[in-house]
Amino acid sequence: MTAIVWERRKAGLGRFWQQFRKQRAGVVGAVILGLAVVIALLTPLISDASIMDVTKATGKDMDPPSLDYLLGTDESGRSVLQMLMWGSRVSLFIGFLAALLSMVIGTVVGIAAGHFRGWMSAGLMRVTDWFLVLPSLVLALVLSAILGGSSFTIILAIGVTSWASTARLIRAQTLAVEARPYIERSKALGAGHWHIMTRHVLPNVAPLVLANTTLQVASAIVAESTLAFLGATTGSTSWGSMLRGARDYGALTNGAWWYILSPGLCIVAVVLAFTLCGRALEAVLNPRLRGVSR
Amino acid sequence: MTKWLARLAALGVVFLLTIQGQAALANPEGKKVLRIGSTQSVDSMNPFKAVRLIAGQLQRWSYLFLTTPDPKTLAPSPDLAESWETSPDGLTWTFKIRDTKWSDGTPVTAHDAAWTFNKIMTDDKAKTGNGPAVENFETVTATDDRTLVIKTKAPQASMLENPIPIVPKAAWEKQADIGAYEAEDNPPVNGMYIPYEQKKDQYVKLKANPDYWRGAPKISELQVIFYENPEAAIAGLKKGEIDLIGRLAAPQFEAGAGDATITQWNTPGRRAAYLQINHGATTSDDKPVGDGHPALKDVKVRQALHYAIDKQALVDQVQNGLAVPADGSIVPPMYQDFFWQAEGADKVSFDLAKANQILDDAGYKKGADGVRTMPDDPGKKLEFRFTIHTETPTEEKLAQYLTGWFKEIGITLTTKQLDSNQFTEETGSTALFDIAISGWSVNPDPEEVLATHLCSRRPTPTGDGGGTESFWCNKEYEDLYTNQLKELDRAKRADLIKQMQKNLYVNAPVIAIYYPNNLELYRKDKITSIEPVPAGRSGEGILYGGSSGWPMYTADVKADPGSATASGGGSNTGLIIGIIGGVVVLGLAGVLLARRRKTTADDRE
Repeated sequence: MTAIVWERRKAGLGRFWQQFRKQRAGVVGAVILGLAVVIALLTPLISDASIMDVTKATGKDMDPPSLDYLLGTDESGRSVLQMLMWGSRVSLFIGFLAALLSMVIGTVVGIAAGHFRGWMSAGLMRVTDWFLVLPSLVLALVLSAILGGSSFTIILAIGVTSWASTARLIRAQTLAVEARPYIERSKALGAGHWHIMTRHVLPNVAPLVLANTTLQVASAIVAESTLAFLGATTGSTSWGSMLRGARDYGALTNGAWWYILSPGLCIVAVVLAFTLCGRALEAVLNPRLRGVSR
Repeated sequence: MTKWLARLAALGVVFLLTIQGQAALANPEGKKVLRIGSTQSVDSMNPFKAVRLIAGQLQRWSYLFLTTPDPKTLAPSPDLAESWETSPDGLTWTFKIRDTKWSDGTPVTAHDAAWTFNKIMTDDKAKTGNGPAVENFETVTATDDRTLVIKTKAPQASMLENPIPIVPKAAWEKQADIGAYEAEDNPPVNGMYIPYEQKKDQYVKLKANPDYWRGAPKISELQVIFYENPEAAIAGLKKGEIDLIGRLAAPQFEAGAGDATITQWNTPGRRAAYLQINHGATTSDDKPVGDGHPALKDVKVRQALHYAIDKQALVDQVQNGLAVPADGSIVPPMYQDFFWQAEGADKVSFDLAKANQILDDAGYKKGADGVRTMPDDPGKKLEFRFTIHTETPTEEKLAQYLTGWFKEIGITLTTKQLDSNQFTEETGSTALFDIAISGWSVNPDPEEVLATHLCSRRPTPTGDGGGTESFWCNKEYEDLYTNQLKELDRAKRADLIKQMQKNLYVNAPVIAIYYPNNLELYRKDKITSIEPVPAGRSGEGILYGGSSGWPMYTADVKADPGSATASGGGSNTGLIIGIIGGVVVLGLAGVLLARRRKTTADDRE
């Protein structure tokens, strides 16, 4: 890479930041996200993992918030605040990786289906349609039940059930890009499928992929929480499994609002943050949207 | 629009009338009716087919058995058989059959009993319900109307706890295909109650039998009403739709607290909950099967696990204090005669230091990460799987505690949740587990549960499950089992059975963790008296789901108020709802009509 290329990229990034800063909601989302990620990363430094061990719980069962336990305790006397912090690691980790997996599958299928026409495109799109109409939550539940409970099986279960809409989106963009004259030009110059897909199509659909990934993380976190709530847990504490615990061990009948509300609000905050960021990214990267919004 | 309104009004009136009609139907004049709630529906009214607990209860209420557990001692006592004797070699049993009547008026004879047993012995379709109970029978004959002779292949001490209800030959031999017959036409019975009406998955109604040999019950009718889920049943109890419900889990039981009209019946239960440990599972031809962790083959490791379980904490935290910590094995303390309690040097109590000591001495060294490894293979860590069922919060909580304690002794435990079919397969025949949760509801005679730990119960090489609860195959245990089968002296037999429990406790193929209490709720404003089984022991006994029909025989209830003098009681709720519903619908119609008048002509049709 030459210095000029780097210069150009830096300028591009600067422009992007200028645009993004104008999206106030997006900035708020990014701040919340940053905060959540920092807390998740710092948790092992400020809290001991043994707090999740029920045999070492120090508090009373279902104790309301106090100075010792800022967000109260759960049914076994563990601190809800510290469980939230440890849970954020699992929820975010699964959210990010599942979204990544979903985007990789979606992008590969989308570009391939857009680039190769004919039977291959038709075949890929029918598979995509099949995944689109399949109730993804049920499929994910079945998958995680068959594969057994671990972080990676949950990631797999969410990833392979949520890529279909991305694939459709990417295919549409690929078709648009491939219709441009310079693709024809490079074909004339002897460019192969691989070259066109990776050098010309991918960079052009990348912004779309980025924006979509951000939105996908949000839905992956919700999916993880839903699965955990329905019983397909990873075995480690996550926000969804905390909600499930609150239901299973009678937080409602005990009036333990702190146990139900805190993981719920955490999920809402992080999902909202991802959505705000994703929308802002879309607005920045899509020139047509850029014009109308603020 | 007007037409529509008229229809709505008509609907309201119809609604009102129907509900009123139903309320009247459910409220027979001045009868003493006991209504029992159940979340389990009847699988079949045919005793040759039925396997569910509810069906077993119905059989105990409507049929006579050769013997019945004595209400006080639970020892076998006369029922259909007035008396019995055994030949000196213990192979021939002679029963004197009681002179009583079927509900159609015909006499009960020994031929009915002989036909019932022979049917099960000869027709595979009749074996579903109680097939194993006749496996050891050589011949069953009625020498005259009052004498039944059973010859067995080998001595059988449990003969007097035979679980087969005797059916009338005349009515049943007409059934060509016993496997297809559901007995929903209510064939004659001779027990304390006579089933006379049922609707699948909704209710079974039984009326008192005036000819029952002990005399007619105090109440005139017994009804079993089915609910989809326990929450609905509890709501039904609180509303007065049912008067009693048994076999509750701790949270539902606690929902009955603080209600002045409801009695919380909390007594020792007949169930033992235990951990099943894969100690090196084998099939019935002694070939290894499954993928159990090699460390668990070492009895030292299993004992160390036993020391690392705080059973009292499990009772408090997992069972809400509604259980008894298990200081014994698979027979719960409810059965005083057969219960074995660990004492002295045998007794294992929660002691993490001791557990660590045992593992240290046995050569399982802790690695840098605090997890122990095999003595001969430092690469193989002591990482066990704990297999539990999905959707069972209590088992999940149990897993959390075990994981915590086992970590303290350098053992990693990961939880594996399986749905019940897969669970049964992986822990019962393919042995794809390390440690699994299990439990058994024990009968007054513990032979059935003891047999689940025999060599012969292990799965066959082709993987057909033999019903083992532990894959246990131990010479001492087998010998004790054979000896107790032959031992006809109850006290001596009890001693052998206790030794069997000690064998399981010390060798730890299973580790009992607690005995859950029998939790039931009933309305004290309705049920005036009821005796549990076993009766006469303070704070003990089971009302619903026990080993005899005694509680429902002794039960007395306040008579239902007649529907004409409707006051209080559950059946009124229907009427009230009906009136309110009708009024609401009519009111709604009125409001719509009024609004319609206000609207402009443009808005009208």
